[in-house]
Amino acid sequence: MKIKLELFGVCREFSDNDFLNFDFDEDIEIKDLRKEVEKFVSKQFPENKNFLEMVKKSAFSSEANEIIGDDFKLNKNQTVSIIPPIGGG
Amino acid sequence: MFHCEVIDVNKNKITIVRAEKFIESHKCGASLYFVGTVRDHNNDKTVTGITYDAHDAMVKKSFEEIYNDAISKLKLEHPVAFVEHAKGYVPLGGISVIIAVACKHRAQVYEFSRFIIEEIKKKTPIWKKEHYQGEETKWLEGKPIQK
Repeated sequence: MKIKLELFGVCREFSDNDFLNFDFDEDIEIKDLRKEVEKFVSKQFPENKNFLEMVKKSAFSSEANEIIGDDFKLNKNQTVSIIPPIGGG
Repeated sequence: MFHCEVIDVNKNKITIVRAEKFIESHKCGASLYFVGTVRDHNNDKTVTGITYDAHDAMVKKSFEEIYNDAISKLKLEHPVAFVEHAKGYVPLGGISVIIAVACKHRAQVYEFSRFIIEEIKKKTPIWKKEHYQGEETKWLEGKPIQK
């Protein structure tokens, strides 16, 4: 299963693209995706503890543009967005 | 009546003129404009501009939900609102957000405008990267989004 993770805000610094791709052998929940993103950030940016902290504090949203909780199931190829802490206006 | 948009400042401009035209209504006796601009300092640093990032679809959805919440919570009469937020680089003094509202009476427009901006701060996925004198930049920390 392929999950495309769209990046916003500080998370855009994770890649030169606007997204990251993850492959999973079985169905997962958002909490599993979060762990994978944490692993990716820890490996790619070991010096930057702020990035890891931001992933821990981030929400995720579905293709329907709804905020989805840690127990939300991902069982098919899809796009998910990471929503780090916000501050517009 | 409601209008909202995320404005890519590389392609378009946020202007009060558009807001004025939209909220004009003979049913309303009061109108109010809130204009957010980029200021020159933050946390003892000299700011030269801000890059705004946005999840466009979620931002528009959030603006619509905030408008509907305002109507039901504030019991507004003849509410009209125009909300536009910038996306991209906004230089010092540039407009980041316009919230123009109109209602039947004056008390309601103050409440309505305040409600919208405070809810945007809590619920709308927009991010700021500040640019400082020199080449330094920093994404501002923000707060976890509320449903």
